Amino acid sequence: MVQTISLRHVLQEAVATPYRNLVTRATGAAVRGRIEASLAAGSGHTTLLDFSGVECLDLSCADEIVAKLLLAAASGDRVLVLAGVRDEQREALEHVLAHHHLAVAACFRGSDTPDVLGWITSDAREAFAELRRHGPADPSMLAARLAWLLDRAAVALDDLAGHRIAQQVGGIYHLVTLL
Amino acid sequence: MTRVVEVPAHFDDRSFDQFAAGFDTWPPEERVLLDARGTQWASPYGLVGLLTAGQALAEARKERPLLTVPASDEVRRYWTRTGFFAHAAELFEIHGKVPRAAATGPSDVLLDVTPIRASEDIHEIVGKIQENAARILTGELGIEAKATMGFAMALSEACQNIVEHAGTSGWVAVQAYTFRRRLGRRVVVIAVSDAGVGFRRSLESTQARRFGDRWGDGSALEAALIQNVSRFRDPGRGQGLAGIKRYLSRWQGKISIRSGTARLAIVPAWDDDVPLVDHLPYFPGAQVQVTIPAQSAES
Repeated sequence: MVQTISLRHVLQEAVATPYRNLVTRATGAAVRGRIEASLAAGSGHTTLLDFSGVECLDLSCADEIVAKLLLAAASGDRVLVLAGVRDEQREALEHVLAHHHLAVAACFRGSDTPDVLGWITSDAREAFAELRRHGPADPSMLAARLAWLLDRAAVALDDLAGHRIAQQVGGIYHLVTLL
Repeated sequence: MTRVVEVPAHFDDRSFDQFAAGFDTWPPEERVLLDARGTQWASPYGLVGLLTAGQALAEARKERPLLTVPASDEVRRYWTRTGFFAHAAELFEIHGKVPRAAATGPSDVLLDVTPIRASEDIHEIVGKIQENAARILTGELGIEAKATMGFAMALSEACQNIVEHAGTSGWVAVQAYTFRRRLGRRVVVIAVSDAGVGFRRSLESTQARRFGDRWGDGSALEAALIQNVSRFRDPGRGQGLAGIKRYLSRWQGKISIRSGTARLAIVPAWDDDVPLVDHLPYFPGAQVQVTIPAQSAES
């Protein structure tokens, strides 16, 4: 089950004013606190953080919200996916995710195809693109599609699974954005 | 006795050291008079620096300082338009005629001189800046439209240093002007200043031992700006200045931070500034300047 959280809505609740910018560490911490409370009350396995309606995102907020939620998710069994991300927000997200060696799947505003952001190998990035184009695969299927050795395909898929960007179901890897 | 501190005729980050030297010891024993009668021009850095001096004297419980306004009517009008005098009136006993603020259309002032006291102020600042920043950055500086958000991000992070580290409030101003002396092009300048504890005291408890005998204002700036070190143990901290540097590297921008007796800058190819200057005249808190130039045809 997917739980969708509108960051704009949470922001306006957290700061009690109609701000559209996710800026400052204090704001980020307040927003994350509300999200964590909502996650604790919900039963969803996958959380969709929806950036629609959010304008500026600074590094402090990207760190407090996205990086810290991903770090917390890594110690549980929760999957986090970003949606409605503006291209202009990519830089702040990439910066903080790389800083923490994290990665996440993200759907950008105006684009139908999800992308991967953060600290991930080029092979895993390529594997992500391939799963997105042609659907779920096991290591041998991916190796055949990309003309890779089996080990290389297995490592790339494991990397995606390690970042909770892909999930293995019966030996087949599925992108979490497409589940 | 009154100590007269002359405000330089051309008051910017370069002449700021001359201004700081005028205080001699800090805080000065005597009442201070900031004499701006001969000032012909002040950058946003100069204006927020003046307010910081007034704030620091107030926080040191010194007698309310005096400020004589520029003799030039044009300079006075401009300082009024930036909002400087509205804040200066709370910190100084002002001598001289201050023009009343007049409604103006679009100008080179992207953000009036604005106090930063809390996180909410930064929300207001980022909200205000975006429309003006887009007009100047894309219209005048040739920077692509989507970089406007990066500019707002850099501004937010620069302001947050005050809220997170200074231990007191501060000031910010953003302005576009033509940088004739060093560049011959239009620039946008963000100036942020506070009268707080400064980088050395902020980082002392976690970094002084690592630097040993080298520890001082210069090495504290080096730890923060070059090594992205923060006083907080949270591993996510220290990314603000790193993010500003990354943004500036793309647009051949410059960042310069003065704190205590040192100044450290990331110097782009178009500038001839010295990266690290130590043993400067002391000035309280920290002063940050971010400069983004108009993009040349080659870039």
